[in-house]
Amino acid sequence: MCVALAGNPNSGKTTIFNNLTGARHHVGNYPGVTVERREGVYQHKGLRVATVDLPGTYSLAAYSIDEVIARDFIVGQRPDVVVAVVDATNLERHLYLTVEILELGAAVVLALNMSDEAEAGGLRIDSERLSHLLGVSVVRTVGNRGKGTEELRAAVNETALRGAVPEPLRVDYGAAVEAAVSELEALAETVGDARLRFGVRWLALKRLEQDDEVTQWFEGGGVGPQAERVTAELEATLGDTPEAAIAQRRYEHIHRVCGQVLDGSHHAARTPSDRIDRIVSHRILGLPIFLALMYGVFQLVFTLGEVPMGWIESGVHSLGVMLSGLWPAGADSPLRSLVIDGIVSGVGGVIVFVPNIALLFLAIALLENSGYMARAAFIMDGFMHRLGLHGKSFIPLLTGFGCTVPAIMATRTLGNTRDRLITMLVAPLMSCGARLPIYALIIPAFFPEQWRGPMLWLIYVIGIALAVLCSKLLGTTLFRGSAAPFIMELPPYRVPTACSVALHVWERAGLYLRKAGTIILGASILVWACTSYPKPPAGDTADGEAAAAYSIAGRVGHAMEPVLRPIGFDWRVGTSLLGAFAAKEVFVAQMGIVFSLGDADGHTEALRARLRHVYTPLQGFCIMLFCLIGSPCMATLATTRRETDSWWWPLFQTGALTALAYLVTLVVYQAGMTLGVGVG
Amino acid sequence: MTAQDALSPSQEDYLEAILLVQRDQTVARARDLVERLGVSSSSVTGALQALAAKDLINYAPYSFVTLTPEGERAAEYIAVRHETLKRFLAHVLGVGAEEADESACRLEHAIPADILDRLTRFVEFIESRPKGGPDWLAEFRHYCDGFGAPEEREPVDDATAGQPACLRDLSPGDQARVVRVTGRRSSTKRLVGMGLVPGAELRVERVAPLGDPIEISVRGNHLSFRREEAEEIAVELVARGQRRRWRGSRR
Repeated sequence: MCVALAGNPNSGKTTIFNNLTGARHHVGNYPGVTVERREGVYQHKGLRVATVDLPGTYSLAAYSIDEVIARDFIVGQRPDVVVAVVDATNLERHLYLTVEILELGAAVVLALNMSDEAEAGGLRIDSERLSHLLGVSVVRTVGNRGKGTEELRAAVNETALRGAVPEPLRVDYGAAVEAAVSELEALAETVGDARLRFGVRWLALKRLEQDDEVTQWFEGGGVGPQAERVTAELEATLGDTPEAAIAQRRYEHIHRVCGQVLDGSHHAARTPSDRIDRIVSHRILGLPIFLALMYGVFQLVFTLGEVPMGWIESGVHSLGVMLSGLWPAGADSPLRSLVIDGIVSGVGGVIVFVPNIALLFLAIALLENSGYMARAAFIMDGFMHRLGLHGKSFIPLLTGFGCTVPAIMATRTLGNTRDRLITMLVAPLMSCGARLPIYALIIPAFFPEQWRGPMLWLIYVIGIALAVLCSKLLGTTLFRGSAAPFIMELPPYRVPTACSVALHVWERAGLYLRKAGTIILGASILVWACTSYPKPPAGDTADGEAAAAYSIAGRVGHAMEPVLRPIGFDWRVGTSLLGAFAAKEVFVAQMGIVFSLGDADGHTEALRARLRHVYTPLQGFCIMLFCLIGSPCMATLATTRRETDSWWWPLFQTGALTALAYLVTLVVYQAGMTLGVGVG
Repeated sequence: MTAQDALSPSQEDYLEAILLVQRDQTVARARDLVERLGVSSSSVTGALQALAAKDLINYAPYSFVTLTPEGERAAEYIAVRHETLKRFLAHVLGVGAEEADESACRLEHAIPADILDRLTRFVEFIESRPKGGPDWLAEFRHYCDGFGAPEEREPVDDATAGQPACLRDLSPGDQARVVRVTGRRSSTKRLVGMGLVPGAELRVERVAPLGDPIEISVRGNHLSFRREEAEEIAVELVARGQRRRWRGSRR
């Protein structure tokens, strides 16, 4: 048996899904899109029930990919039962989606969620009357406390067993609209589509609402012009757009239903929320409060995360040492090198991020579940919109200053695909923490003391400026047109439940480990192989530089030299950049090796001296520029691949950023050379 | 009803209480009244003596209390009055049952007979109209719900009421009603789907730091959107927002 959960965002739908399926669910992507797909299973009376948590939507009007997916699932996959989750404290608005689903002809069970809040606020709902008026079973649930779950399963079972496809709900849309509907129904029937998934009445209504998919269907059936005529006539008669008139009638119908079912009023939830909002969303105070909170989140994630990160790092190191001991001392086994330098450090480099990610998602879950996230987007959108971004992009981008990987994962909070992709693509331009060692190496090497702070600041600012430029560019070229509306509901503040927050964090951290880890493992091995092999013939002086030059990476570096020269790089930088693909910090280590200094950690000053000797300040600056903009690390690539469920986007991201890096560095280097800046 | 006209509020309460106790258990004792009215026995004794003097009850110390025929008429009238007021508060105004009861207790003594008569008819009228009736009441209650506690609502300003405007141009505190939807951009359709249908009443709650986006409340929900997304929604003003001191509403 198959059950789908539908409902508004903020209706507590996902909590109910978690209650129904327990831990037995799986989060993936709908094929080819960035929309999350959650499915799971539960057992009831020996029957195995597959459950799908559809994306949260306000209506089935298909303006966004979420709505299209929800609608297509209900009609295409024909689940045995659709559970419509509504917020009992906000019944009128939430029932809008329910009514649309009922008009589709699905078998529905209504889950009256948050019913405890409703009662506490003085609202009494006559669920029997409601059940009778809508023709569906109604179950009171309190998702946060897991109440009503068993009753829900029972109601679902009962509804499914009833078997008969129910008569779709008929809302009276008034004489004019109903006349147009009849005409369109007749037209629809002439199309005679054997694959007719929707009822003709529903098709007629959607055509009047100018739904894109349905309009195309009418056109495809050869009755496009007639349908257009009917719609235009209706609009002329009404004086209003048909979709407004239809929505109005639906709301009136719901209103009448609610009038007979609700008793008392529900001010309780809003008033404390309103009081909080008066301060938090205050026109002047809102921004400072938000920035302070963000600072707090940052501190939490990257400072608090230091401790467990340190444990993991030393744990990985110890593991390496322990494994190393398995071979006789001094042995130069390739396997040992593979295991320790390749696998352990590669995978270790991934695992070390886990505390960061867990803490970040803890913060995001708290902000989101409490309802604050919506206010943050509200406050920031004015600024972000002028920059070509969306209010909700702010937090992911801010996170990118710490690490790009969680930043990309955080774009999930952006409902709209276009904004999400743009944010993901420009996120690497927010100079991440891993690049700091590079700047820390180069800046003191080339710049006098009073210039160092400003130089670092300059690099960051360039990153931000480029991010803004790129998002504007992407917005007008690749992602033109469907500028995402900001329209957003501001739910009342709620206290997040420990359970849902913990589950959320567990899910995200687990996903990161699983997917990013597998790709990174593979890539680590590859990079290790390229930088270690082939080794120079035995007997040659163990000269680091020569060995590096001999390896694949070294040879590639040499081969790239003609391309690198125009931007001021030589083969050494090229080799190090290749190594940096694994993780940005590797750049410094590789430079050390290439300049025959072995492990660069204790030899920073010596390395700087060599750099000063070989390169000019201009070249140093260009190296930093290139590292800032180009070649995002492997982990970034893997995460983008996971979040977009395709290879095209991460490849595009890498390619475009690298090309941009080359271009910018080229311009800066050549200009610098021509103007004689920084070459002394 | 001259005897009744001369009754004090507390004496009316006593009569009502005696009637109710009688309904429960046929005869009333002094101590039942002590319990029901929460007063001391000496107060009860004094009141009962006064009522007996008016020939409304039969009473002898330490014995049962019963109503005389005239007393019964008076008590019934008082009970009906209480019930009517309670019905008005609970069924018409939609106040909670307990609150209605308590308020009715206080209000009933202040209402002259002819006004009560009117009120009774009003309640009956409302409850029985086929076109009004429960639906009309529900609508009224929803109207009350839409804007929160009465003291928060600004008075309707005759100068501005009915003025046409566009949703995108409103300011915090403005109240308006959607009149027409003039276009079919997807953002407009989405707003309509979320409740901004013709006839819907809304209030602008606040604006973001740069004046855009804005937050409104409609049907008890709070929605936010950019001003440009509201271009195609034509409204008429119901009231303009007053300048508020930042501490909160006028008190």
